[in-house]
Amino acid sequence: MSIKVYLVDDHRLFLSGVKAELAEEFRIVGTAYDVDSAIEEIRGYRPEVVLVDVHMPDGGGIAVVEGVIKTNPDVKFLALSVSDRAEDVIAMIRAGARGYVTKTIDPDDLSTAIHRVHAGDAVFSPRLAGFVLDAFAGAIPSDDDPELDQLTTREKDVLRLIARGFAYKQVARKLNISIKTVETHVSSVLRKLQLSNRHELARWASKRRIV
Amino acid sequence: MIAGVAGGLADTLGVRDGYVRAAFVTLLTVWGLGGVLYLLLWIATFDKVEDREAQAVDTGRAVGLGIAFVSVLFLMGALDMWPNGVLVLTAGALSFGTAAITDPSSPGPFAALLDPSAQRVSKVRLILGVLLLVGGIVMFATVVGQVFEFGIVFLAVFLTGLGIFVAFGPWVRRLLTDLSAERSERIRQEERAEVAAHLHDSVLQTLALIQRSDDPHRMAMLARHQESELRDWLYGTVPLDGVDLMSTALKRAASRVEEDFQIPVDLVTVGDHPVEERTRALLAAATEAMVNAAKHSGADRMSLFFEVEDDSLGVYVTDQGRGFDPGAIPKDRKGISQSIRSRMAKIGGTVDIESEPGEGTEVMLRLKL
Repeated sequence: MSIKVYLVDDHRLFLSGVKAELAEEFRIVGTAYDVDSAIEEIRGYRPEVVLVDVHMPDGGGIAVVEGVIKTNPDVKFLALSVSDRAEDVIAMIRAGARGYVTKTIDPDDLSTAIHRVHAGDAVFSPRLAGFVLDAFAGAIPSDDDPELDQLTTREKDVLRLIARGFAYKQVARKLNISIKTVETHVSSVLRKLQLSNRHELARWASKRRIV
Repeated sequence: MIAGVAGGLADTLGVRDGYVRAAFVTLLTVWGLGGVLYLLLWIATFDKVEDREAQAVDTGRAVGLGIAFVSVLFLMGALDMWPNGVLVLTAGALSFGTAAITDPSSPGPFAALLDPSAQRVSKVRLILGVLLLVGGIVMFATVVGQVFEFGIVFLAVFLTGLGIFVAFGPWVRRLLTDLSAERSERIRQEERAEVAAHLHDSVLQTLALIQRSDDPHRMAMLARHQESELRDWLYGTVPLDGVDLMSTALKRAASRVEEDFQIPVDLVTVGDHPVEERTRALLAAATEAMVNAAKHSGADRMSLFFEVEDDSLGVYVTDQGRGFDPGAIPKDRKGISQSIRSRMAKIGGTVDIESEPGEGTEVMLRLKL
């Protein structure tokens, strides 16, 4: 049974392109051009993975993620955006998206990313990996949960390799670990990114514009 | 203005609300009659829906009503019902004069007098208004000057100034609002022209090029180049104070390689550092590594990663191309890797090259700060 995917993008041309690319491998259960109908339809159609654009009128991708995740916490979101602005990317992840890729991603990588998100893992583009390294760099742990505020050396190694353009498979080989372990590290970084209440994270993201 | 009584009455009678207000003000000086009338009318119309059709302003009727009002006023005067004749006349002259001068159907005092195409009625109205105002001021000055033994000349000058202000103030204000509206419209147009010019020089040109190109790879490169250029323009990544940063310098170098060799370079930077003498050599070495990858790897894209660690800078150029055996460097690659090595050696940095046939290549440049 192929994975049920739902697409949200206010850019119709891009949406129909992605739909055509994914239609063979996945079951596209629906598409939406705006936030409100996306939230309503996702609640009704129960897709497994939602590809959501970051920049849309009426609150954008963040509004979609927040609107759905309250009632349907098992729906998994993958942010797909033309925006490389750190504040957008970090905000999407913190709202609950399990990954972020840019719209220039090639179709094979996009389908791998959907499978990975569906399996409960996280998907980091090289740029997102760079943002996370930057955001956690020189972090001073806060008192409540120091573990959430810092990356382990191994996590940093994994992120660095992703930022350098290596696929998970290559990262695993370079570090002599299994792909599953790489996925575990990335998921753990995602959890820290979502749960860390380091206020510097938000400040950092808004300070940093784009690369 | 207070309860809309004057406005409503003006609509019903078919005269300008300014004159109705002037009438109320004048009657106010007759034992406060204006205030009482105002309150009575307010209470009478309290619950009524106020969307009666406004009657068209009719000059003839307005003049008739004016004459009727003045007659009634003088009748009251003759019957000795005025508390103070000068007060009533002064208030009447001043309030009606003001109403006439600020009549919204006038094109403004100067225009009414000087513009030959201005309606005769507005000229008459203006002259009458000015006469009433001047008369009112003179009366007021005489009375008040007598009462307070004020310097009469001083008072007259002051009141004339006030009169001029009242007469021309609204017109000057209207002129100023028009000017500032015009100014902001002009600024908006200039901004739009600037945006249009920029989009024309960049995005439209690129779109035209893409339409004329039949090579998908070239189309993609054009789109990519345009995207990064537009991004820079939209979000303005140019550093302030003229300080050049590694992130922007690397971005420039990457775009050059993208343009020259038609291969996408994915740049990720973590942290930043100013460009100075040593880091300039690091930049040059990184550019050579990129050129190398573009020429020889056969890969369809490459990655450029820059990182500031505690006390060192690292630049990584990675491709997923054909790779090579570093132990047996082909002749054409030797020169370039030699030059990268010597550049890095001069600034006290290190070079590591990792590659295997079929497994891509990574050039790692590190510099201790």
